[in-house]
Amino acid sequence: MRMDMSKCNRKLNKQFGGRVRASFENDCIVLRGELERWPDVISACRTAARKYSRIHVVNDIVCPEAQDAPMRRPSFTDHTLEGAAPDVLVIGGGISGASIARELTKWKLNVLLVEKESDLALQASGRNDGEVHPGIDLGKGSLKHKYIRTANRMFDTVCKDLNVEFHRVGQYVLFGDVWLKPLIRLYCLWRKYHDGIEDTVLISGAQLKRKEPLLDPEAKFAILNPSAGVVCPYGLTIAYAENAVQNGAKVSLGTAVLGMEVENGTIRAVHTNRGTLYPKVVINAAGVFAEEIAKMADDRFYSIHPRRGTNSILDKKAGVYMHSIASVIDLRAQLRAHTKGGGTMRTAHGNLLAGPDAVETWQKENTETHPESIRVVFDKQKKTLPRLSERDIITYFTGVRAPTFEEDFIIERGRRTKNLIHCAGIQSPGLTTAPAVAIDVAQTAADMLSEKMTVEKNPAFDPVRKGIPALREMDEAQRAELIKENPDYGVIVCRCEEVSKGEILDALRSPICVPTVDGVKKRVRPGMGRCQGGFCSPLVTQIIADYLGVPLSEVRKSGEGSVITFGKTKTPEGGGEA
Amino acid sequence: MTNDRYDVIVIGGGPAGLAAAVSAHDNDARVLLIEREARLGGILKQCIHDGFGLLRFGEKLSGPEYAERYIDMFRARDIPALTLTFVTKIVKTEQGFEVHAVNRQGISVHYAHALVLATGCRERTAKQVFIHGTRPSGVFTAGTAQHFVNLLGEMPAKKCVILGSGDIGLIMARRLTLEGARVLGVYEAKPTPSGLTRNLQQCLYDYDIPLHLSHTVTRVFGVDRLEGVEISEVDENMKPIPGTQTRLDCDALILSVGLIPENELAESLGVEIDPKTKGPYCDGQCMTGVPGVFSCGNALHVNDLVDYVSENAAAAGKAAALYTPAPQKYVPLHADGSFLYIVPQRLDLNRDNTKVAVYFRSGGDFNKTRLSVTADGREVFAKKYAFLRPPEMEKLELDFGAFGLTEESDIRFALQLQAEKEREA
Repeated sequence: MRMDMSKCNRKLNKQFGGRVRASFENDCIVLRGELERWPDVISACRTAARKYSRIHVVNDIVCPEAQDAPMRRPSFTDHTLEGAAPDVLVIGGGISGASIARELTKWKLNVLLVEKESDLALQASGRNDGEVHPGIDLGKGSLKHKYIRTANRMFDTVCKDLNVEFHRVGQYVLFGDVWLKPLIRLYCLWRKYHDGIEDTVLISGAQLKRKEPLLDPEAKFAILNPSAGVVCPYGLTIAYAENAVQNGAKVSLGTAVLGMEVENGTIRAVHTNRGTLYPKVVINAAGVFAEEIAKMADDRFYSIHPRRGTNSILDKKAGVYMHSIASVIDLRAQLRAHTKGGGTMRTAHGNLLAGPDAVETWQKENTETHPESIRVVFDKQKKTLPRLSERDIITYFTGVRAPTFEEDFIIERGRRTKNLIHCAGIQSPGLTTAPAVAIDVAQTAADMLSEKMTVEKNPAFDPVRKGIPALREMDEAQRAELIKENPDYGVIVCRCEEVSKGEILDALRSPICVPTVDGVKKRVRPGMGRCQGGFCSPLVTQIIADYLGVPLSEVRKSGEGSVITFGKTKTPEGGGEA
Repeated sequence: MTNDRYDVIVIGGGPAGLAAAVSAHDNDARVLLIEREARLGGILKQCIHDGFGLLRFGEKLSGPEYAERYIDMFRARDIPALTLTFVTKIVKTEQGFEVHAVNRQGISVHYAHALVLATGCRERTAKQVFIHGTRPSGVFTAGTAQHFVNLLGEMPAKKCVILGSGDIGLIMARRLTLEGARVLGVYEAKPTPSGLTRNLQQCLYDYDIPLHLSHTVTRVFGVDRLEGVEISEVDENMKPIPGTQTRLDCDALILSVGLIPENELAESLGVEIDPKTKGPYCDGQCMTGVPGVFSCGNALHVNDLVDYVSENAAAAGKAAALYTPAPQKYVPLHADGSFLYIVPQRLDLNRDNTKVAVYFRSGGDFNKTRLSVTADGREVFAKKYAFLRPPEMEKLELDFGAFGLTEESDIRFALQLQAEKEREA
């Protein structure tokens, strides 16, 4: 394949005066040169990229400003995985990796998932709004579109099997200009007949008011996508991984891929901080680091440009303002931005959520929050929901998306490296598409392995994950029954979210034990409420210490070094005199 | 499921709940107290410093000692208490209230004619004061840090910054210093300190801990453990001034940025909340807008001294014990803009208002002030204050019965600076 770069280079010359040049190499558009500022790098790469194209932009532009910190990795090394030879190695414990690992256990395969962080879903998969998208904004021809409808329909079954909270609440897109209605009607028809997004309907301002009385009173009409829903994004990721483990997969946290040996287009060995692995097939689900993994595997044909977004979580008291997902659309802004511009929604757990924004960054792991993000989102979303108030905020968090310049997923076999599958460029609606993508990727891996070995279905595969009971949601008879079996279910530790000691111990005994305050918080919610752990964090810390049989000062909030206390008072460790 | 019937159920076994239960019992009510923690005493259990009880007992007690006095009174009366028991919901019925609770024994339902909500308060968090940056460990509210140090004997900090000059923050500055930590400074966004004067002296100045007014923490650093904080100067609207940021390295940030009355149960019953106190609107009997539901202590409004909590809770307990349904005949108590708030916010003229405790905080630092209460323009009460400061709560006892009030009465509380008053004269 050849591609003429002259037109592209003319544009680049015009923009950057010859400082950047595109060339067509190995079926990729490679950009080289030097630009001072990161926004210019983004702009140059976008100039060269075509939306949804399979020919990707590879960014080799030198940018002095964009010096990212080295990838965070565990500080320790050991040999616990030395010499392991899994049939499939999945790199990355986000929603993609976890769901792929689970689908792989439908075959009799030796599956190993490695995640460098101390828990699953610690990056983008745990730092998004949890919307299950209807696909209304996706055009034919993209992988996003290919998967969205199938995947959206899978959520009822998947979440039931995996015991994850999911509510198909619908999404409203509000319009204030009545003259737009015929255009939007045409748009919906186009989506229906051209793109197969069939459930979308237009409703009047009066109908909207009946369904969601507190949304923008000036809305003249709205698009309603009944198939949209809300799910707990980290809950789903953890559930997938736990079900994978139940079905025989192995999950190794605190395990970072540091290098690979590639011979004749085949990955022979994968080096990690816990030993060298010899996998037959490698799946790259490394999120913002997918490009680095591709490079290690000698198969880099795309670039990831991180884009951060911040969401705010509001008190459950504000959660009653609405039941669904909603946003007011400013069409002009929509055409420019690479996000649906955020919205407001009631989360799967009943909080109100506002966000996210979208800011280009070179920092792949910087999840700091900034006041501007909150301001931008609230300025915009107060239009959607006039009652939205910063005063109700209980927390906010930033996630970093992992888009390519083509703004589509990359789900395919390695182009040069044979035993590799990429599941990269996963950004919104990647949480929604995960169940369908995972089936495809697992099938591809099974097909690859079938070329060398017999791959049999796993007759013992059990799709059902027994979750931890959430007692606050049960009726009293059910609750009393469980307390009778285990009195710890009657001891409330977290008052805001009504979490019992029994549930916390269940989290610690779950298939993937993450004995940190955040690990427990993500699984059963102590500390997620309005006091943000003010009352319960010492209690939870103590329960973890007792469970592990370690001093309190060894219990961490999350990653290595995130200890909560420094030791006993009146001792040198604690800072006092012995 | 078990059932029990009581005249009064008190929810919360801290100083307010204990005093309310004792008082309700002494007024011949059959009382049940429900406490979510394993031990009675509430937050006093971890307040090992002294200074409690000067008004109530005429001596300086530590928090646990003060609590013990009330626990002894409570036990001497054989009042039933359910500890490690959490109220999940309350249902209002024709006869009163149905209180649903959960504990190790299962689910229980208890019936009461009247309720006293003594649910205390919680601390404002880092995100509620819009601190940005990373999410490391090492960011604690002062009460949480106090729990670690005083109840668990664990050090949450070696080198720390304290944000907010509220009393718990000041007390933790001293406490951590005594345990060997370095307290780099106390930062306060307001131009004046938030804590009691005596705490500023005894907790900061005596230990050479600097207090920086009109400064706040805007950002935290560190991915795993806190590594530092960004301090910014703030303008008169308490907004950070760009360009004034400096970084201070530390391993803990302790927040003492305000307390919020806990009223989730009250709100579930439809109790209306005063945005100024963040506690229920109440009348001279501490009864909320929902008949039969009484509120007291820090759930009603945040008190400065536990002695006031006990006193106010005893009044609420008594009123709950004596409660008989009657239509309300409210007359509002208006406080002018120079007050932060006053409690109660109204009187029920169908009740006895001869001896009503009125608690208030001034809206600013005022010297030589005259408080004046008028009914329909006629001054019915006046009191002079040498100084008033928002952190120091004030209490009055008024005989509203003597003012000849009707539902149409216009009762106003005003603070007049003496200087102004003299000019007028």
